[in-house]
Amino acid sequence: MALARVQDLTYRYPHSASPAVEGISLELRAGELVCLLGPSGSGKSTLLRALAGLVPHFHGGQFAGRVEVDGVDTRRARPSELAGTVATVFQDPEDQVVFTGVEHEVAFGLENVGVPPDEIHGRALEALEALGAGHLAGRRTDELSAGELQRVCVASALALRPRLLLLDEPTSQLDAEAAEGLLDLLTRLGCAAVISEQRPALPLGRCDRVLFMDGGRLLLDADRADGVSWLADKRTAYLAHEPLIEEGEPDGEVLCSVAGAAYAYGSRRVAVPDLEIRRGEVVSLIGGNGSGKTTLAKLAAGLLEPTEGTVFRHGRASYLSQDPGRYLVAERVDEEVALGVAGDLRRARRALALADLAGFDGRHPRDLSSGERERLGLAAVLVTEPDLLVLDEPTRGVDPDRKLELAALLRAQAAERGTLVVTHDLVFAADVADRVLSSTSTRDPVHA
Amino acid sequence: MSPVPAAAVLAALAAAALLADRTISVAVVATVLLALCLRVPRRRRWPYLVGTLGSAAVLFVGSPLAARYGGIVYWEGPSVPVVGRLDVTSEELAEALFQSLRFAAVGLAFAAYALLLDQDRLLLAGGRLRRSVLAVALATRLLPTLERDASGFVEALRGRGVAVEGLRGRARLLSPLVAGSLERSLNLAESMEARGFGRPGRTRAPQPAWTPLDRVALAGAVLVVAGGALWL
Repeated sequence: MALARVQDLTYRYPHSASPAVEGISLELRAGELVCLLGPSGSGKSTLLRALAGLVPHFHGGQFAGRVEVDGVDTRRARPSELAGTVATVFQDPEDQVVFTGVEHEVAFGLENVGVPPDEIHGRALEALEALGAGHLAGRRTDELSAGELQRVCVASALALRPRLLLLDEPTSQLDAEAAEGLLDLLTRLGCAAVISEQRPALPLGRCDRVLFMDGGRLLLDADRADGVSWLADKRTAYLAHEPLIEEGEPDGEVLCSVAGAAYAYGSRRVAVPDLEIRRGEVVSLIGGNGSGKTTLAKLAAGLLEPTEGTVFRHGRASYLSQDPGRYLVAERVDEEVALGVAGDLRRARRALALADLAGFDGRHPRDLSSGERERLGLAAVLVTEPDLLVLDEPTRGVDPDRKLELAALLRAQAAERGTLVVTHDLVFAADVADRVLSSTSTRDPVHA
Repeated sequence: MSPVPAAAVLAALAAAALLADRTISVAVVATVLLALCLRVPRRRRWPYLVGTLGSAAVLFVGSPLAARYGGIVYWEGPSVPVVGRLDVTSEELAEALFQSLRFAAVGLAFAAYALLLDQDRLLLAGGRLRRSVLAVALATRLLPTLERDASGFVEALRGRGVAVEGLRGRARLLSPLVAGSLERSLNLAESMEARGFGRPGRTRAPQPAWTPLDRVALAGAVLVVAGGALWL
């Protein structure tokens, strides 16, 4: 018997001209792992919200069709009533946190669904430990890295022991090892899980079924073998492929070199690996959560000055923050991009076209989807035509087709500058870079 | 100390500052609260201290100019339409000092509440008032969240060569900060609903029992309020 059944679902958000999802029908069986793929804005998140009952209860809008979870019609049960049976992890971990303490955060859902008080502590710790985050139990949520916070959010969902787990890009902030660990855990849990991902290699290697959405419609609903062969035929970007470029020997002028450097955030010292970037080369920096990649990127871009060691910089550097929400200062998209070039709207529009946002000039930046916001941030730094371009997690929330386009764009412009790309996405790192550098720095107290 | 008696002590100190009618008493209360706030690392405490002490300083400087009483004139300035002639008297200065100390004491009590108390345990102790306590706890987190967002905007602008300088440059960040807060609050509300918030039959994780120190602190809070009303 199906655990969840979606029948001819069509849904339109309030004030939206077109439906976010249209004519969706599918069944989810108990215990199966389903990989949900599709480009940005294809309706994946809306489908997950419909399965959680948040569409239409929380968002309003026009809802047609029927969604049943564990025999309950979601139009007749509020999302809070489905909680426990269903658990959802949303895209942005920072926007989900209620408490300041990690253990209280994980316990929040357990209290809401009425778990007996003497079980709450044990279940919260068990969920954290299952994700390798037991050591975070006593920490404050506002002191965690993005990857650590994402693990706490997933633990909050797992602690509920749901029958249906809905995960919206749960590995976007996780390093490769942590992402692999999460996917392995999902295969052992025994509950049904739908995982929407923009780094599809990991879930595709473990899932039972593959769904593919585009333009609000479900184009594919197949078992893994058929799904992979459909992707190989229609959407090759979603499958593992050989790196697009060969490693080469750089010979341009040195634009940045970092030697023996460390930076102290208050009493916390972060040592970073040595680095040299020359004009004409693209360097990818990979490494675990909290290994100092962002610190190294900011040192290279001149946003931080080292407290130890030396950093040499030549020419102008621009830095793309890993949070696309930081590029929402102006009231119009073109004005936002023009901020970096003293209001020159012509240059701004050229940069928008490069980032595939031509025609978005007059839109308000907050009206853009998460993938579009990421491209807006990219346009905002590309427009400055820097000698050194530093991109911190530029593929977060970006679909595989767009990643290939971004890699091609950075390669096409590689000769003009030096480029440093900080990323957890190993496929993208290999696609874009001449060299891949691994960050294995250490953190320790300044006075240790 | 448990957060409930600690919150009661802070509220009592603020109440005592409002009830006391001697400047020295209010100054002592404000100093005690300032000393508490200074125990917090600088990067967390500065928005609260700058906001509170800066506002108190503006009150101290500005209110004598607007007031119109007292006989010993220290300074006489030009005549301003509507307000009249500006002057500063010794009585106005004394009253301004008293009121700004009161303001500082109340502000510092809130700062100590926000910086030192375990908001989670306070929320969990909320019992039937849980929804109200949750609203207060989330509102309390607004200031550090806004501060973090503002730093993020400034850093992203610096990353593309835009310097944020002066009052005008920072004022430009106000609108995106407010819009960002609204967006985040909607996302948080959605996440809370998905996690069962508001559903009947909720339980509560066991909390540590009150210690003798907690009971003494609660009794002390009552005494501080009484002292403020009767003797200070």
